[in-house]
This record gives sequence, C-alpha cells and structure tokens, in this order.
Amino acid sequence: MSALLTVRGLKKRHGERLLFDIDALTLDAASAYVLTGVNGVGKSTLLRVLAGLETAQVESVEFEGRQLALHPYPPQLRRAIVYVHQHPIMFSTSVARNIGYGLTARGEAKEQVARAVQEAMDWAGVGYLRDTDPTRLSGGEKQRVALARARVLQPRLLLLDEPTANLDGAAREQVIALIPTLVDQGTTVVMACHDRDLIGLPGVRRLKLRDGHLEYRP
Amino acid sequence: MSLFDATAHAFALLFSGDPALWRIIWVSLKTSVIGLLLATPPAVLLGYAIAMHRFPGRRIVVWLAQCALSLPTVLIGLLLYLLLSRRGPLGSLEWLFSQSGIVAGQFVVGLPVLLAFTLAAVQALDARYAETARALGASRWRVMTTVLHEARYGVMAAVISGFGRVISEVGCALMVGGNIEGETRTITTAIALETSKGEFAQGIALGIVLVALALLMNGALMLLQGEAHTAGGRA
Repeated sequence: MSALLTVRGLKKRHGERLLFDIDALTLDAASAYVLTGVNGVGKSTLLRVLAGLETAQVESVEFEGRQLALHPYPPQLRRAIVYVHQHPIMFSTSVARNIGYGLTARGEAKEQVARAVQEAMDWAGVGYLRDTDPTRLSGGEKQRVALARARVLQPRLLLLDEPTANLDGAAREQVIALIPTLVDQGTTVVMACHDRDLIGLPGVRRLKLRDGHLEYRP
Repeated sequence: MSLFDATAHAFALLFSGDPALWRIIWVSLKTSVIGLLLATPPAVLLGYAIAMHRFPGRRIVVWLAQCALSLPTVLIGLLLYLLLSRRGPLGSLEWLFSQSGIVAGQFVVGLPVLLAFTLAAVQALDARYAETARALGASRWRVMTTVLHEARYGVMAAVISGFGRVISEVGCALMVGGNIEGETRTITTAIALETSKGEFAQGIALGIVLVALALLMNGALMLLQGEAHTAGGRA
C-alpha cells in the first residue's frame, strides 16, 4: 500500500510544555486509522496541525510523493485534507447549502454542486433534512451532515475528531456505518477516538499517542 | 411660553411640514447616512481583521479602539477644524463649514463605534465557524464573508449604534459645520441654537425627531437581538 502522507520530526509545544514529539507519522492511502490516547495527550491538536488549523515545528512533509512545507499551509493539502470537529458547526443556511459549501468555495458550477450535494445527502441518509434549519438538527444528524459536507470534497485524507462522542444508539451506529464506505472510496480516514466500536472496525489500524510519542499498534 | 404650549407648537411645526425644520432634519439624515456608509466598510474590515489575527501590539490597538469610543466629539471637531481650516493640511479641500466637513466628522465619530462593536461581535463568535470554512477550502475572503454573515446580528447592531452616535452628536457638527442655516444646520446644532435663543418649540420638535429615531433604532436592535437569540436557542 502506498504512503499518502509522511510527516517527520513533528513537535508541538504549548508554552513551555512539549505536547508531542513524533519522529515519523506515515498514513497509507485508502486506509483507516484510529488515534487513541488519554484525554489531553494531544490527539485533537495533532489532527488540527495536519489540517493546517494550528502550527507546529516540522522537519519534513511528503504528500503523495511530493515534498511540501506545512507552513504556510499549502493549497495542495488544503484541497486534499478535510478536518471535522468533534461538535461540527453548521453555517446558518440550509443543510444542502452547508453540504455544498466547500464546492461552492472552490468555484464549482451550480449544477455540479447540486448533483454532488444530492449524492452526498443520499450517502449520509440526510436527504430528508435538505431544507432544514441546521440549528434544529440533532447531534447525530449534525455529524452525518458534517461527514457529507466533507465527503462531497472527495478528500484524500479525512480527519475526524471524536466522531461518535456524545452520540448514542442509532445515531452512533449510523455514523460508524459511514466510515468503511469512505475508505472503500479511496479516502484515508484518521479518527481521534475512544470508541471501541470504531477501534474494532475491520481493517482499522491503531495509532496511540502516549507521553508525547506516537506508537503504532497492531 | 409654557412647556405644554411649546410642545404643542413643536408638534404643529412638525406636522405643518415647516420647510426650515424639515431641511434641518434632511441635512442631519443625509450627512449621518453618508458618513456611516463611508465608515462602515473600513470599520467592519478593520474590526474583523483585529478580531481574527494575532499580532504584536494587538491589545494596544484594541485598547485604542475602545478609547476612541469615549472621545468627546467636540475634541474630534477641534482636530478636524484644525485639519480643514484654511491653513490646515486639508484646507485646500474647502470642507470647513460645509456638509462635506460634517460628513468627514460623522465618519470619524462613527468609525470607532462600528469598529469596536464589529470587533466584539466577531470575537464573540465561535472560532469553529472560521476553522470550518478554512478546513473546507474557503479563501481568506470567503472565510471573512462567512464569519461576518454568522456575526451579522452583531454587525447590524454596530451599524445601528454607529448611526445613533453620529445623528446625536453635536460638538463635531457644530465646529466643523458652523451651524449655517439651510446648509450645515443639523438637528443637534439647531436644538443648541434655538434653546440659546429661548425658542423652544423648534428645539422640542427636533428633539421629538431624535427621540423617534432613537426609539426606531433601538426597536430594530431589539428585534435583531431577539432574532439572534431565537436562532441561537433552537439548537
């Protein structure tokens, strides 16, 4: 399996405190990973650094065989990597427009956006919410809309911060069921989580952040 | 003339369509609206930029912006007077004692209000809005329009508050405008003049207009805040 992203010498400090010091992080294409570790160890921060939402010290970044810098965050990575918050925020417009936001921002044609949004809504099972005010969505619906909003951009790497936290019952199962389909479509998914059902998904590899270092677990 | 008689006379003046009175109201509204329209884009852009970026001296900039809110308008008027007077650096514009001068004054008076309120509105907004927009590939410009759209109730409150400040200020309009009848006489400068002459009816009539405007603007603000509260409370 070919490497999608390799980051070497990744260090992040919060003031004087060294949050993590990772020798090498390699993510393969079309693979799923869970990133585990105790609360406060830096899982979310690591995902945010990879998404270009926070800065960190880095020696080298290789994406699809090309050497890139992480700062300033390059457009190639911005197009290829999408990050989803633990509690996704919805823009105050319709659900359909929320899902199409990224494509519209890229300047895609209206018809293409509409087609992609419809497909993403069918995939996430949120078609019935098309014109709903996003403030009325439940936690599970918000998470699925956020996944559809990310998927519509066909990212090479999707970073999910605790995608099932605060969800229970059917809402949680619906979100978990979407993850393998993303990988099947060629997206690498990294999920910061504690959810045993996500960790136990077939083919999911485990990364553990402990004492500032990254461990690859079988 | 008793207060009751003066008030009755004031209403009569208003409803009779007294040209001098309505000319004063027109000059006030015109200069305030133009000043506000000119001040809004730079103030909103600056407010957004200061709220969203971390840079050395940022706290000093925020402090200065907030201090500018409480600057006496008469002091702003004095500074503008010196700038616009014949020997001043901007004397060649010949804006002193003209409506353009008043507009310049309203611009300077309104800008800090708009800036400080926009800054507060954007700062109060959940940072995830901007992050989500960036994570979904939005350009800097689109992130800004998205954030300002999400903070729209706060920005509209900034505009309404800015209008309240410029329409009701007297010091700057008096010093830079010169209170010339039919030309630079505004509601507030006319009230000051008429009161000093003991002519209360016109002053009260203009005061009624100011109170009506204040009621209207604050009503609009309350409606906006109610709308924002409803929108935020439905999650």
